[in-house]
Formats: sequence, structure tokens, C-alpha cells
Amino acid sequence: MYSIASFRDIVDQPYPYLQNLKNLQGKKIVGTVCTYAPEEIIHAAGALPVRLFGSDSAIHRAELHLQSYCCSLVRGILEEALTDRLDFLDGMVFPHTCDSIQRLSDVWRINLKKTFHADVVLPVKLTTAGARQYLIDVLDRFKADLERQLGREITHDDLARSVKLYNQIRLLLQRLYRLRCDHPEVLDGRDYHTIIRAAMIVEREIFLESLTTIVADLEKTVMQTKPSHLKRLVICGGICTHPDIYEAIAEAGGVAVGDDLCTGQRYFDGIIDEALPPVEAIAGRYIRRAVCPAKHTGITSRGENIIRTVRQCRADGVVFLLLKFCDPHAFDYPYMREMLERENIPSLLLEMEDQSQAAGQVQTRLETFVQIL
Amino acid sequence: MITVGIDIGSITAKAAIVEDGKILGTKVIFTGYNAEAAGLKVYEEALSEAGFDATAVSKIVSTGYGRNSVKFADRAFTEILAHAAGAHFVNQKVRTIIDIGGQDSKAISLDEAGKVKNFVMNDKCAAGTGRFLEVMARALEVNLDEFGAMSLKSQKPAKISSLCTVFAESEVISLIARGEHRTEIIAGIHESIAARVSAMLARVGVVEPVMITGGVAQNEGVVHALEKKLGLKIEVSPWAQVNGAIGAAVLAATL
Repeated sequence: MYSIASFRDIVDQPYPYLQNLKNLQGKKIVGTVCTYAPEEIIHAAGALPVRLFGSDSAIHRAELHLQSYCCSLVRGILEEALTDRLDFLDGMVFPHTCDSIQRLSDVWRINLKKTFHADVVLPVKLTTAGARQYLIDVLDRFKADLERQLGREITHDDLARSVKLYNQIRLLLQRLYRLRCDHPEVLDGRDYHTIIRAAMIVEREIFLESLTTIVADLEKTVMQTKPSHLKRLVICGGICTHPDIYEAIAEAGGVAVGDDLCTGQRYFDGIIDEALPPVEAIAGRYIRRAVCPAKHTGITSRGENIIRTVRQCRADGVVFLLLKFCDPHAFDYPYMREMLERENIPSLLLEMEDQSQAAGQVQTRLETFVQIL
Repeated sequence: MITVGIDIGSITAKAAIVEDGKILGTKVIFTGYNAEAAGLKVYEEALSEAGFDATAVSKIVSTGYGRNSVKFADRAFTEILAHAAGAHFVNQKVRTIIDIGGQDSKAISLDEAGKVKNFVMNDKCAAGTGRFLEVMARALEVNLDEFGAMSLKSQKPAKISSLCTVFAESEVISLIARGEHRTEIIAGIHESIAARVSAMLARVGVVEPVMITGGVAQNEGVVHALEKKLGLKIEVSPWAQVNGAIGAAVLAATL
């Protein structure tokens, strides 16, 4: 059982935790780089899927392989791998999403030691007639690859158990998300961020058990806290690796009540149908789930989702938190901002890098934005 | 009611004393290393020059990147809100503000009531700011105060394509090596600032009248290049450099 504080220790320093699991339990660790990595199948193979984020270290060796217009997330992950910090990994899974992740996969395959390496080539358009069957075929093939590489059969029961576990985790995260929306004062933004990040690292069974207690405890505190009158914001973008942003928002007089982030809604949106055969059901969730800008379910589906999120969270404004050089998100930004403007929802654009940030300028923008809301 | 605004910028610290819509005094000093000390110093000097005692001051508002280091202020507002309040104070009709300071440049749009509607701020980069001009002045061995007048004599401004201060400096050095005339290089520098700022303006949308504030507003070459690029007349705030401090003093009166 973990508390939020112990989750924070793991999120801050995931490698010793993972190395320990490997040493003590012989756990296989599989790295992933995106919410479209089919974690349920990895988990069913007895391995632990772990989402990799960027690097805290200076980027040197990754510079030799990637152009300067690749985002700091991709560069950071490569730097960590090239400097042998990810040697505990038994495999890597690269879903076919943005160009930089695909190139990261290529650089990885050619330059890093030979562990299990899988490209999961998901369709881009998720809503066409062929997409569902194609998606099922890709996931079936990934399952077969994983079985061969990890030397273990993945049975129907293994998959069904994993699907059930992930459904429970996602339902609980959705409950946490609604709790934050209704009572943002009960949960610090940084703690919310910690929990979502931990959901992508910690052994999922223990995570579920711990989160069950955490959410129940938080729900109990609702009655004791005073409602806040802060300006309510929805954070929109890719990954957030800047928990400091929540403090900056608080200092500016705002509070995050919802999001459309890979480290947020996109991770836990959508439940897998347990009545269907597991692989087909996993594919079904990807088709229905809140979409990322590198996937397509309709010309304006992300814009509609952000407006829906703003309405559900009764938000006063939207903060676009974009990773510099993230093309898919940058290309979606103009139309999404226009859609928000048509609905009279103000928005602010912040472009950040994984590591360095001009804290003063970000603070100035957030403060001004909250003031004019 | 006497109020004071203190604007701690990246290069200079400014103070303005305002009483019932009248500006009683202003002061500009260098910020230096210690923003907190600069805040206190500019406040005391502004008061003593204007002949006021601190007891006469009702409210103090701080602004600028060092706003939170002014511990004796009643409240801090961002420089975007302060410049908007300052420009609106000077001319109530102003709908768009260009503020170019030491390390930031901003485009701000106001509604009819002078409330900030939208704003864009440069990223963590000195391109197109006062610091950029300082670096260029050093490379050209020209006093920055002469930049404006010199560039107005230009016939054919040099092309400076890099927006980055570091790259633009090496471009300027190449131009010097090629024997390009100083006035043309300076005019080129001003045009490159105008190009960058007008791109920011396009994002908030330009509604006239447009006012320019901040230290760089004192450079007529930048103003001229911007007018040419935008094809409209830009009003230079008579209080360019202290506009933020005046705005802060105006905001202090509303506390």
C-alpha cells in the first residue's frame, strides 16, 4: 500500500523502484512512450508497462541522433537510454503516433542493445470501416510478438484479468478526476499529477489497492473543506512534466479542475467492454477514447471534447500547455482556440520544454490571464 | 489620494507618483543585481525628488518581473495589466499596446473600457527587446541613444534575417565586415524588431489607436519601422519607460 507521498518518491525516482522489482521478483519491465501503447496486453504477459518521460540530465548524446526540432520529451528519453540509465528495461513499445516517436523507435532499434522492440502500427483514422479490424490484427500481432519475446503464452484468462484490472484503475481515476472537478480544494494539483504519473509506473495491482484507499479518504474530506472561489481552469495539451505549473496556477489565483492531457484524461478515458473478446474490446476502447492529435476520429473531435470538458468542469478558461516542437499539438491549437473563442471561452497558450522554463514569464502570463478572466 | 507605482524591469527600475489623475513625479534607475534594493531606492528617490514624505502615500502597487521583491507594496500586478492601465490613463481611446522592455516584448489588446482583452508575450528569448538593441549597439560601437536618429537617415536598410540575438549579432558582424554602412545596419536591426513585433500583434489583432510603451518606445527608429511595417500611425507614450509604473500607481488608486 502506498500513500500519495510514497507515489511522489517513485515518480521522482522511478529507476531504483523498477530495478528493485526486477531484482527481487524478477519482474520484466517494458517501456512505453505514449497512451496508445496497449498496456493491458503487456500486463497480461506478466510484465510491467512503464511510461517513460524525458530526462533531468543535460542532453548530449541524443543530440547526435535527433534534429533540434524534435521535442524535448523524445530527446530526453533517448538521452536516458543512450547513457545506460534504462538498462533495466526488458523491452520497448513504440505506438505509431507522432513522427518523432517513430524516429525515436528507429534510432533505438539501430543504436541500443537488443531487447524486445515493438512498433505497434495503429491506424491513424480510427473511425473507418477497416480501422477496427486492422486495429484488432495489429494488437493480435503485438500479442504474438510479446509471447515469443517474453517466452510466455498470453491466455484469454490472462487478458481478461488485465482488462478487468485496468477497468478498475480507470474507473477509479475517473472518480478522482470528477472529485477534483467538483471539489478542487481537496486535492492539490501536484498530487493529482503524482497519482496519474504513478498510475503509469507502479505495479498496477498495488496501485489499484492504494488508489482505492486514497480516493475513499479524499471523498471523506470533502465535507470538511471550504469551497474555493478560485478561477477554474482546464489544462489542454500533451504530457505535463511540470508539476510546478499547478503551483504557478495557484499563485496566480486559479485552480486546475480538468484536463485533456496524456498525463490526465487521455490515459483513463474509456472503459473496455468486458463482455467482448479481450483484444477486440481493447481495440474498441481506442476507437471510442478521447483522441490525441496524432489520431483521427473526426475533424473537430478534440475541439468538441475540450468544450465538453470545459462545460462539465464549469471552467472559466483553458490553458494550452504545449511542449515546444510538438507538431501534432501545435497544428491542432489554432482551430481549437477558434472553437473556444466561438463559445466565448478564453484561452492562454504556454509553450514549454521538458526541462528549462522561464518561470517568471510563465507566472506573468498566468497571473494576467487569471486576472482578466 | 497619492499612490505610487513601482515597476522593477530587467534593466531599469521605475517609480511614478500619481495624485487624482495627475503625475507628480517619476524616477528611473538601473535595477542591477538586487531587485529588492532597487525597488526601495527608486521609491525613496522618487519621493524625495518630488518633495513628498512616505507618510503621504496611501497605496503602493508593484509590477514588472521583480514585482514580488517589492515587499512594501500593497499589491503586485503583472506588467501587462500595469501597461494597459498606464496607456489607458494617458489616452482612454487606446485599443492596442506594444510594450517593448528590456527582456520582454508584448502585444496587448484592450476593450473600450481599457480592460485587457488578450495579450501575447515573447518567449524566453531576448530577440526584439531592449537587451537585443544593447547588444547590437555594442557591436556597432554606437551609443544606443543615437540609434533612432541614425536609422532614420537610412536609404536602404540591411537585411537581418535572424531573430535570435546571438545569431543576429554574428549577422551584424558579417555586415560590418562587408563594409555595410552603420545607418543601414541599424535600420535593418529596427526592421527586424518591427517584423517580430508585428507578428505578435497579428496574433492579438490590431485595432487603432495603437500606442507603444516601454523603454524601447524612446527609439524613434523602432517606432518608424513599426509604422512602416503595419501601415498605420503609432502613438508614442509620452511616458514610454515609466508607463508601467504610472499604470501601477493608477491601479493602486483602485485598491
